[in-house]
Amino acid sequence: MASSNNKPPAVSLDNVSKAYGRVRALKNLSFSVGEGQFFALFGPSSVGKTTTLRMISGLVIPDEGRVALHGADVTHAPIKSRGVSMVFQSFALYPHLTVYENFAYPLREAKVGSAEIDKRVKETASMLKLGHRLERKPNTLSGGEQQRVALGRSLIRRPNILLLDEPLTNLDAKLRHDMRAELKRLHRQFGMTIIYATPDELEALSMGEEIAVMRDGAVVQKGTPDELYERPIDTYVAAKIGAPHINLLQATVAENGQSLKTGFGSFALGRKLGAKAGDKVFMGVRPADLEIASPQSADLSAPVQLLEPLGDVTVVSLGEKSDNLRIVLPESRASEIKLGDRLPIKIDTHKIHVFSAADGLALR
Amino acid sequence: MTSVALSPPAPDFKTIAPDNWKLAIAVGLVVSVLATLILPANAAFWVVGAMAAMVAASFVVNAYRRHYYGGLLVSPAIAVLFVMNIFPLLWSLGLSFFAYQSNQQTIRFVGLRNYQQLLTNDLKAPELWANLTNTALFVVLTVTAQMIVGFLLAVLFAKQFPLRKYLLILVLTPMMLSVVAVGVFFSYYYDPTFGLLSQVIKAWGGEQFILMSSKTGAVAGIVFADAWMWSPFVMLLVLAGLVSVPKYLYEAAAIDRVSGWRRFWTITFPYIRGLLMLALLFRTIEAFKMADLVILLTKGGNDTMTISYHVIRIANEQNKTSEGAALSYLLLFVVIVLTNLYLYIANRRSQGA
Repeated sequence: MASSNNKPPAVSLDNVSKAYGRVRALKNLSFSVGEGQFFALFGPSSVGKTTTLRMISGLVIPDEGRVALHGADVTHAPIKSRGVSMVFQSFALYPHLTVYENFAYPLREAKVGSAEIDKRVKETASMLKLGHRLERKPNTLSGGEQQRVALGRSLIRRPNILLLDEPLTNLDAKLRHDMRAELKRLHRQFGMTIIYATPDELEALSMGEEIAVMRDGAVVQKGTPDELYERPIDTYVAAKIGAPHINLLQATVAENGQSLKTGFGSFALGRKLGAKAGDKVFMGVRPADLEIASPQSADLSAPVQLLEPLGDVTVVSLGEKSDNLRIVLPESRASEIKLGDRLPIKIDTHKIHVFSAADGLALR
Repeated sequence: MTSVALSPPAPDFKTIAPDNWKLAIAVGLVVSVLATLILPANAAFWVVGAMAAMVAASFVVNAYRRHYYGGLLVSPAIAVLFVMNIFPLLWSLGLSFFAYQSNQQTIRFVGLRNYQQLLTNDLKAPELWANLTNTALFVVLTVTAQMIVGFLLAVLFAKQFPLRKYLLILVLTPMMLSVVAVGVFFSYYYDPTFGLLSQVIKAWGGEQFILMSSKTGAVAGIVFADAWMWSPFVMLLVLAGLVSVPKYLYEAAAIDRVSGWRRFWTITFPYIRGLLMLALLFRTIEAFKMADLVILLTKGGNDTMTISYHVIRIANEQNKTSEGAALSYLLLFVVIVLTNLYLYIANRRSQGA
């Protein structure tokens, strides 16, 4: 997404590489984050998210490439000069200091008066609902409280850029939900740039104004949640974004690139692919783009293989062999369906994604 | 499980069996008391010893028959501990209540007379008092030197640098040497004619240097040798604390822009505090007992006698065995009181903090 104004991006990484011994953690990674953006760095564990954040904070110096903050090159700049704050996945609270002292720590050497420190600590504590915990040691707090202390400690300095390394991974589901809303609120309140690393697609989609999807130490695709959902660049991004996951069916290009042949039958695409007839491809279709139709207007029909009730909706898997097709139905419809029933299905052909079977890249 | 089921039932109290340890204890006690009362002391000694051996044997047979292999396996260690440590400890405690000299045959019960003598007359004697102040001096100087040097070495070795592993082994070597070897090494080192120290001073234009010619020099020489030997011990303990500090705390501190002293006191120090106190305790107790290096380096000359060396002198060289035992027990009492006071304060502070 191009920035509408001409201010330099808050964070930009340019062809950055980093290796730990023989392991190459980052390979020519590039992306930029606009000023004041809530940016999500999304990918499975050990994909290089943490290394990326540590590089922005200055804890790690890249082997190659360039890191810039607000347009200024900081690749080799000391941590102190960067104005970046970070919340660690492990929280990294100082175990021998009280919550109060943990909050005050970043201010202690910043030449802030003790009255001002006291005011800021109390403000931060009440904002995070920790006012009654100030005299406790971190290890006597619950996971959620520890997380809020870690957050408060990095916010108290009012950083321009806040890095969050999987901050909610160590929390239970209910707390995670609350903290997501809390983080959104804090972002609106302070307007700082936030880079949020997460392996959870729901977190990435619900929180990130923009998302960079990472694989093997590089960014595969960057875009808004809608862009990633509507126009995934390859099967990796398509499979990572969206729940339930996209259906990927083995298919062969037919009719001069205008239709696909699959185990469920042939489908006209309504457009012409840049592929020859007979090319092997994957046909991707999101469960939400499939619906039950009348038998006359159906594009295919297949037996029910599996029912997964998820409360108000049910994921229904159709198919006979290894190829299967998931579809999401409201609970009211799904309750009438039994295993083995043949369902007539209509596909929204405009929303079919086609990916090359050779390299997984989208064919448009 | 089957072995437990197969083990024979414990014998009845009255049956005579090699594994009837309850009966063995009862018989042993009765025989010992009778022997002490009736027989002359040197015969009773062996009878009581035989009874103790009988009880121990019954324990071993019992452990074997009941399949208490754990107990069986530690029994040699317990036997050695008893014979070499516990028995002499109790024996010397007993001796301290008698008037006894190892070069004479007579032995006479005097109750607390030895202690009374020590606490009233001997303590007033300037010689013994000087020994006590010397000991205190050595405790303060050697422990301070060891703590500082050991701590600095630990800070150095907590970092990564080339050859660290090999240098670490080298630095730890003094601790593993015999004190005698260290004493001999340093007496050559300090030797006025051939010693390295004197040679170096001569090379710098000085005259032949006799370190041991003044009390300051003698004390410095002993303290240096002791610190050289035992600083690695302090280092090892502190190093264990330093490497246990999670790295992410330092990273968090770097992000929070905190470094230097504040980082040391708030993050590092809490992890090594307990170990520093442990090192302090161990080294203080050891320093109280300092005699070996004094014997090897000055033989107590130049007013460097310590109280432990004094005990060795009166007990071994002057054959005042029971007085030596009494003085040893007074020292043990002092060390125990000081140690417990220290532990009490340490525990209270760590709970209050």
